[in-house]
Amino acid sequence: MALRSVSRRLGSRILNHRSFVASLHSHATSFGFQEVKEEDKSKLVGNVFTNVASSYDIMNDVMSGGLHRLWKERLVGKLSPFAGMKHLDVAGGTGDVAFRIYDAIYSVKRRALQKVDEASLEETQIYVCDINPNMLNVGKQRAAERGLRDNKSLVWVEGNAEALSFDDNSMDGYTIAFGIRNVTHIEKALAEAYRVLKRGGRFLCLELSHVDIPIFKNLYDLYSFQVIPHIGELIAGDRESYQYLVESIRRFPPQEKFASMIADAGFEKVEYENLVGGVVAIHSGIKL
Amino acid sequence: MYRTAAKRLLGGGGAFTATRLLRFPKLRSTIIPSYYTSGLCTSSVGGNAESPMGGNQSVNPNQSGHTASSSSTSTGEGPRRDESRKPRAEFQEEQARVLSASLRHVPRLGWTEEAMMAGSRDVGVSPSIVGSFSRKEAALVEFFMDECLQLLMDKIDSGLDLQNLIPSARIAKLIRIRLEMQLPYMSKWPQALSIQAHPLNVATSFKQRAMLVDEVWHAVGDGASDLDWYVKRTILGGVYSTTEIYMLTDDSLEHRDTWAFLDDRVKDAFDLKKSIQEAKYFAQDIGAGVGKSVQGLMNGVMQTMSRRSGGSTF
Repeated sequence: MALRSVSRRLGSRILNHRSFVASLHSHATSFGFQEVKEEDKSKLVGNVFTNVASSYDIMNDVMSGGLHRLWKERLVGKLSPFAGMKHLDVAGGTGDVAFRIYDAIYSVKRRALQKVDEASLEETQIYVCDINPNMLNVGKQRAAERGLRDNKSLVWVEGNAEALSFDDNSMDGYTIAFGIRNVTHIEKALAEAYRVLKRGGRFLCLELSHVDIPIFKNLYDLYSFQVIPHIGELIAGDRESYQYLVESIRRFPPQEKFASMIADAGFEKVEYENLVGGVVAIHSGIKL
Repeated sequence: MYRTAAKRLLGGGGAFTATRLLRFPKLRSTIIPSYYTSGLCTSSVGGNAESPMGGNQSVNPNQSGHTASSSSTSTGEGPRRDESRKPRAEFQEEQARVLSASLRHVPRLGWTEEAMMAGSRDVGVSPSIVGSFSRKEAALVEFFMDECLQLLMDKIDSGLDLQNLIPSARIAKLIRIRLEMQLPYMSKWPQALSIQAHPLNVATSFKQRAMLVDEVWHAVGDGASDLDWYVKRTILGGVYSTTEIYMLTDDSLEHRDTWAFLDDRVKDAFDLKKSIQEAKYFAQDIGAGVGKSVQGLMNGVMQTMSRRSGGSTF
């Protein structure tokens, strides 16, 4: 009897270890609930975003009931942008976060309240980096609509989060909103973030995350798997991409695990804040 | 009570019993406090304030007090503990350095984010770090208050000539020393006071003032631990605050008026104490007097009754 329970415990421990090791690799080879080869993942993700680019913003609004705006506001609030900062927004194709940062720095009200050096205002650089040129084009279009087409402060760059083309220690801030779920190797993206940030620079990540609250979790799962792919079909005409979306949320590491990954990349004061009970989480860290 | 705690915490530096961090849910947004916090608490003394509003303490038995490299991960077990303690302390140190450098800019820029960003540039760190300070301007003010308290304690330890003075003069001297530390920032002090009065910051500023008052009484040589303790500290807190506010509008040479005001208030406090004691004795005397007369009356009545009844039995 005792032997059986001991062996059961040993067995489960071995199983846990194996699954732990497996989970580290699982993100790189998972495309939603499918298993794919590592090399293929980025291509598949690329296809998803090429398909959804044009209706990305509308779909965001519909799926989150407009809440995604509040979440992004909160993200930018936490960042506390300042004039003269060099900021990098990764996977920020359509420019949502970048525009908010731009507004925060250049708003007339803010300049009136605080003593802002006009010269330092000129030095502000907001880089928007995305791996997908379609998403970037949508962003550039939106910039043109706002009259910011030729603005020197906004720079649109095509690049890969795992291999950024920016110099070491060059950025005051790094944000990635709803993007880190889609990179093949999260650790590499985090390492790159660490590399490009200056000393004292902040890393902020807004991402869909795990809900643990009992009844709410069931409702959320219902909504995710029954409602969202249907909406995707109706509005964007693409059920597959949105199926991938909700599945990839479930495969992404939970809040604590992700926080420890950020800490492993070298960041200090790693914290996270759950919004809407864990549907969305903002992780933050500082490079020292 | 506070002094010994303060000594242990400030003297201990990175002592793990002193720095346990609890992440607090932000009051404004729709967040549910994380159930997975590793449950560490900080006290407000260590130079920067993750202010414990309400003093919640939940200790995770796995952590046994060692800080993890992040306030939220529970991966601090085992061999990671030692090297993860250093980086955590590094952020606190960095924050202290930035805040200390920012103080130089306060007279010009006020207790604001600009001052802190200028300070961070002085230290050689990106101004983004200011975004991560909790309750930004309050962090700066609280840092300053902690520094002043530490300075006061150092001054007391290094020997002030207190023995030759009567208690009221001792108190006046100590408060004067403490208030003089604020003189360089006098032009922006009203802003600091308003920051301290903000609902989010009241808890910490109240605690800091309580520690200050406790420190002063300790130095004056008071060891009382009964109800008197609260009364004394409350009165001294009142004296300190009123003098502080008076100083805001004092234009006299070398703030002479403020020190005169301070001396008067301290005298009033002691007079008040004396008056209360006198009132107590007076009441006791009256009580005794009335008691005696009532007793005498009762005795007289009893005697008369017994005489009368004794007489009637005959």
